[in-house]
Amino acid sequence: MLRSLMAGIRALLRPTERNAQIEEELQSFYDASVDDKIRSGMSPERAQRAARIEIGSSEMVRHKAWSAGWESKIDSLLRELRLTVRRLRKSPGFAITAVLMLAFGIGATTAIFSIVNGVLLQPLPFPDADRLVTLGDLVSGFGWTSPGFVTAPEVMAYSRDTRSFQSLGGYAYVSYELAGVGQPTQIHAGRMTPSVFSTMGVAPLLGRVFTSQEDRQKAHVAVLSYAIWKSRFSGNPKVIGTTIDLDREPYTVIGVMPKNFEFPIWKGRQLFCELWVPTSFSAQDLSPEGGGENWSLMMVGRLKPGVTVEQAQDDARHVAAQTMRAFPLDLSNIRIQSVVFPLHAVTVVTARPLLRLLFFAVAVVMLIACANLAGLLLVRAIRRQRETAVRRALGAPASVLLVQTMLESLVISVSGGILGIGLASVALAVGRSFLPEDLPLTSQITLNWTVAGFALLLALLTGALCGLAPGFAALRINVNASLKEGGWSGAHARFRSALVVAEIAIALILLCASGLLLRSYMNVSDVDHGFQPGHVTTAAYALPQQEYPTQARVDAFNSQVLLRLGQLPGVQSVGLTDGLPISGSGALFVADGYIDPRGPGKTIALSSDVIGDFFKTMSIPLIRGRYFTDSDNANGQLVVIVSHQFAEHYWPNQNPIGRRLREGTPKSATPWLTVVGEVAAAKLNRSNEDGDSEQFYLPVAQNEKDAGAYATPADLNGNSGHIVMRSALPPEQTEDALRAVVNSIDPQLPLTQVQTMEEIVAQSTAPRRFNTVIIASFALVAVLLAMLGIYSVIAFSVAARVHEMAIRIALGSQRGDIQRLVLISGAKLAAVGAVIGMAGAVATARLMRSFLFHVNPLDPVVLVLAPIAVFALALLASTMPARRAAAVNPMEALRGE
Amino acid sequence: METDHRELVQGTLEMLVLKTLALEPMHGYGIALRIEQISNGVFRVNPGSLLPALNRMERSGRVRGEWRSTENNRRARYYALTAAGRKALEQERRQWDRQIAAIHQILEA
Repeated sequence: MLRSLMAGIRALLRPTERNAQIEEELQSFYDASVDDKIRSGMSPERAQRAARIEIGSSEMVRHKAWSAGWESKIDSLLRELRLTVRRLRKSPGFAITAVLMLAFGIGATTAIFSIVNGVLLQPLPFPDADRLVTLGDLVSGFGWTSPGFVTAPEVMAYSRDTRSFQSLGGYAYVSYELAGVGQPTQIHAGRMTPSVFSTMGVAPLLGRVFTSQEDRQKAHVAVLSYAIWKSRFSGNPKVIGTTIDLDREPYTVIGVMPKNFEFPIWKGRQLFCELWVPTSFSAQDLSPEGGGENWSLMMVGRLKPGVTVEQAQDDARHVAAQTMRAFPLDLSNIRIQSVVFPLHAVTVVTARPLLRLLFFAVAVVMLIACANLAGLLLVRAIRRQRETAVRRALGAPASVLLVQTMLESLVISVSGGILGIGLASVALAVGRSFLPEDLPLTSQITLNWTVAGFALLLALLTGALCGLAPGFAALRINVNASLKEGGWSGAHARFRSALVVAEIAIALILLCASGLLLRSYMNVSDVDHGFQPGHVTTAAYALPQQEYPTQARVDAFNSQVLLRLGQLPGVQSVGLTDGLPISGSGALFVADGYIDPRGPGKTIALSSDVIGDFFKTMSIPLIRGRYFTDSDNANGQLVVIVSHQFAEHYWPNQNPIGRRLREGTPKSATPWLTVVGEVAAAKLNRSNEDGDSEQFYLPVAQNEKDAGAYATPADLNGNSGHIVMRSALPPEQTEDALRAVVNSIDPQLPLTQVQTMEEIVAQSTAPRRFNTVIIASFALVAVLLAMLGIYSVIAFSVAARVHEMAIRIALGSQRGDIQRLVLISGAKLAAVGAVIGMAGAVATARLMRSFLFHVNPLDPVVLVLAPIAVFALALLASTMPARRAAAVNPMEALRGE
Repeated sequence: METDHRELVQGTLEMLVLKTLALEPMHGYGIALRIEQISNGVFRVNPGSLLPALNRMERSGRVRGEWRSTENNRRARYYALTAAGRKALEQERRQWDRQIAAIHQILEA
């Protein structure tokens, strides 16, 4: 078997050697035969003649010997292939159109899908990632979704008391001011228990990760990410042991993680960690009244082999029950429920609807491309009907003809596929630089071979099927009839028209979908934010505790910032806030006179702490009452400003001014705060979540008093957040001036995210823009392909009817009439396609609902414009063939027959 | 020329070649000659079938071929039976015997 294979391959590679061998053996046979005959008494001449007669045609023998091996089959196939390529070269128009069209379809779908795959779908870069899970709490009354948060004491309890996990670790996001290497800057970091590293199963590239002893002893050690190691330490291998400053405290670098280690991962989000430090929980963090009420950590674990997610969840719930028994009084209404999710499910959960939409789009575009290919191949078969008939009449075996058609379509689909994959990789290389910057994991975007393979397979399948159909049709040809007739058959024309109608319909569906997304995007851009982003410059800062250990120091910094920025030329007002509108976290509170139907201790709204002229700077309209003033300080009455939606919810149809609320739960020992103002709700485009419009604002100066019995001398308020500044000057100038002022107050303090409010608003719509652009590009490809389809159908029918046109013209028909005739045939196809497509669009509109924002899935503008556009483009595609038809020279056309 | 020269019975060429080679290694012409002689000139093997058959058998490992010089000092490709070839011969022979017996029975019936 193996020997046969090897010999065959050798023969294929060196055909002359093989032939020479056969030749030589034949010669020796002949010689022996002649010798033998001479020995038995013949004359040499006679002997030679007799031997030659005996052996017969040496060419025949050679051929027979050659055919004995399997390689001869391959050889003849190769010969057929060469013939096919030569035949295709003779009709370049057809070949180029077909190949390019497939390349376009395969290339576009592969490239677009590769991007999405790289960003959203790549498997987690951890060993045995299927055993990785998240563990978190569902807390009654909090509208959290997966994976849920835990408290610091719970991190300990879960790690200690569960039995289902091989290892389990807790982590949280923090941000630090990084100094001691290059310009001071603000970075994202992960605070993690050391077990997170062992859970993920990734070893450091250099050095080591921290130990649990270091975590307990609050050692100041840090593990660097590959990216920061490269950018800040220029990949220096001697980085281990060096010291960096995090929030102005020295940390020793003990390790560097490998390039692909990214954790925590939030696919589709911008957060990524540049280094990792131990959690180093303080006693306060671990006390039931301190960290025990702060659900801000997350957990990740590795299941023991054979343990299911459900088993682990049951296990964790026992631990949660113990935790609840130990709750302090003010949490006694809170119920927690442990939830365990596969890590991968959590990381891509937000992306799932988008992916479904994309799969649909990829499939549709490929379908259109394949339909086009089928149409083109069919045309070719029809055109060659006469040739096929002649060859059949001359005795060509059916199998040979069939193999030829098959080969032809396979050659086209393979070359189209290869070209397409090439196009896709070029597009990716070029396109990577154009991707939105806030897209994470862009480094992971590579050509997706699964999709490329799938697209190629689909093309091959289409090629094979479309090769078979006309092939068989050709075999059934009534030789006589088709030799006589010379026209194209009606059934084929109908089939082809049906293909084009389907293409137009599908393209229209995609166009409608992208139209709806576009409208949503425009609506989001036009949304009333409740503030005026124009002319507002922002910057984020975080005061390191080392330098600003007391509230007095923090206050001094803040008032300096407000004062000095306010003195800048052109500046109208300045404010500070802990979160830009409005990313403040949900806060529990009690509204005076409101009984929450969800039960006590479950009333929650977004709260934000502000200093200075925050409202004036953001231009948040005042509805009733007043903004905060300087007299709203620790000595004054405790005050609060609420949003309109807040007032509507908790004190419906009443004047909220003078009403009271307090922080915490009914059992919390906190003082009442009096509402002094009602403002419009400020929001970025967190569009659909209307609950986010319920907001209340507190002056930082009163934070300590607001906290009542929970205030401690160590509390620091207003030590991090955002500066907002409204200026009449252009943003470039204000940004520099802002940096200069802050630098003069604290030369070491890094400012991050120095940008205009308009930029922040634009960023918040980036994911939606991404969706819109992706679907729109699919729609564009689909429409282009469909146009190509309609063009080729019309062009072909014109070519086939040249004779008819010539006769019409010869008989006196006007050229305009001819043009109209062709255009009408195109318009008919487009109209039928559009009607079917509209039905499809209406049917799929429901799929789109979750992507839309303030747009009816049956938006009349889209549903009218899209079909008109498709119809117009279809007419456009028919114009060129129509012109050609009208330009027929009757003398020439009729003589040619 | 003799008039009752015949082509071989269908499908027996390989078996006859194997049988011929069982005695000693031979070149192509020698095999053809031997078959003709032993069958008293009834069967004649032409090179158009013999050479491809030898090629095929060599590929499947039943015979092994090598170039050697003949008694007349010419070069010829000599074929020798391999162990696999010997086994194949036995098998084909058994099968052939069974078939012959069956045909006999039918004819005698």
